[in-house]
Amino acid sequence: MPEWVEPVARYILTEGLPGTLRVSAIAVVGSALIGVVFGTLMTIKFLPTQALIRLYVEVFRGLPILVTVFIVYLGLPSVSRSLEFGPLTAAAIALVLWGSAQVAEATRGAVQSIPTEQHEAASALGFGWLGRHRAVILPQALRRLLPPFVGLLVNIIQNSTLAQTIGGVELLQAGKSQTERLTFFPPAGIGEIHAFEIFGGVMILFFLISFPLTRLAAVLEKRLIV
Amino acid sequence: MPLATYDLWAFVSENWRELLDGLLNTLKASAIAIVGASLIGVVLGAARAHRIPVVSQITAVYVEIIRNTPILVQIFMYFFALPQAGIRLDSFTVAWLSVMIWGGAFNSENFRAGFEAVPNRYREAGYALGFGSLGTFLNITLPIGGRISLPSSINTYISVVKNTSLMIVIGYEELTTTAINISNLSLETLEALTVLAVVYLTLVWGLSAAIRLLESRLALPETR
Repeated sequence: MPEWVEPVARYILTEGLPGTLRVSAIAVVGSALIGVVFGTLMTIKFLPTQALIRLYVEVFRGLPILVTVFIVYLGLPSVSRSLEFGPLTAAAIALVLWGSAQVAEATRGAVQSIPTEQHEAASALGFGWLGRHRAVILPQALRRLLPPFVGLLVNIIQNSTLAQTIGGVELLQAGKSQTERLTFFPPAGIGEIHAFEIFGGVMILFFLISFPLTRLAAVLEKRLIV
Repeated sequence: MPLATYDLWAFVSENWRELLDGLLNTLKASAIAIVGASLIGVVLGAARAHRIPVVSQITAVYVEIIRNTPILVQIFMYFFALPQAGIRLDSFTVAWLSVMIWGGAFNSENFRAGFEAVPNRYREAGYALGFGSLGTFLNITLPIGGRISLPSSINTYISVVKNTSLMIVIGYEELTTTAINISNLSLETLEALTVLAVVYLTLVWGLSAAIRLLESRLALPETR
C-alpha cells in the first residue's frame, strides 16, 4: 500500500467517523422523541394543535434539508446571538427538524391504524388518555414503525454529510481536507491528487454502514406483513 | 441588528433577476434529470420485473450502490474524483447527471414494483390477443403498472428537485447557490433564506397538489 494511505485513513476514521456518528445519533434520538410525541398529538381531534403540527410537518418535509441546515446555521444567529451553533450541532438540529417531521407523519398513520376496539378496551379497563396511549396504543404502533425507523436511520446517516457544506468535520469533509492536503508539496502533502481513491473510500464506508441497515429494514418489513 | 434591518421587499426588488436565473437553472437541471430518470426507471424497472438476465443483476447493483451512499458523496465523485480519471464534467452536467442517476435508481425500484403489481392474467390476455412481448409491455404492463407506480415515482421527482440544492458544493448557480452567494455579499441572510423557503415550499407543495389531482384522474378504475 502506498505510504500516503495510512495517515489519510487514520484521519478519516478518527476525526471524520466520530463526527458522522455523533450527528446521526443526536438526529435519530431527537427525531424519534419529538416525532412520536407530535405524531400522537396529531391524532387528537383538536384543531389548533393539529393545524400547527401539520404545518411543522409540511414545512420541514417540504424544504430541501440543505435549506434547513442554512436556516439553522446562518439564519438563527442573525435572529439571536444565543442561537449560534457549531456546524455539527447545526446539522444535527436541522436533521432533527426534518426527521421528526417524517416520524410524526409515520406515527400518526401507525396510531390511527390501531383499531378503535383497542382504545375502547383500554378505556373500559380504566386507563385515561395518557395511560391508554402509553400502555396499549403506542407499544403496538411502535412495532409497526420499526421498518420506517430503520429507513430513517439510513437516511439520517447519509444526510449527515450535509454538515460538510457548512464545514463540519464528518466523513466527507475529512476526506475532502485530506484530498486537499495531499495536493500540497512536502512536508504537508506529497503533491499528488488522490481524490478518486479517497472519495471512493468514503463512499465504500457509507455503503458498509448503510447496506446492512437497508437489508434489515427489508427483512423487518416482510416479517410485519406476515 | 439584522432583524431590525429586515427588508424582504428591498432584497427581492434588488436581486430578482439573479434569483429568477437561479430558479430557472434549478428547473432546467430538474427537468432534464426527471426525463432521464423516467427513461432509466421504465427500462431498468422492466428489466427487473421481467428478470432479464445480466441487465437485471447489473440494475440491482446500481440501485444498491446509489441507495446506500449519500448523494453528496456521489456528487463529489463526479465533480472532484472523475477528473483524476481524465473525465472532466462541467458543473451543469454534474448537476443534472448526478440527480438523474440518483433518481433513476429510485425510479427503477418504483417502476419494478408497479410492473410486478400488474396481474399476470392481463399479460396473458395480451399474448392471447396476438401481442408480442414488447407489444404486451407497451400496451398493457406499462400503462397499468406505470399508473400504479405514479405516486412513488412522483415523490422521487420531488426529491430530485430538492436535491438540486446540493449543487452549491460544485458552484452550479441554481436557486440555493444564487441566494446564498448574494447573502454572503450583502449580509441579507434572513431575506435570502426567506426567499429560499418560500420558493421551495411553493414548488414542492404545488407539485404535490398537482400530483394528487393527477393521481385521482389517472388512478385505475378499481382503486377509485
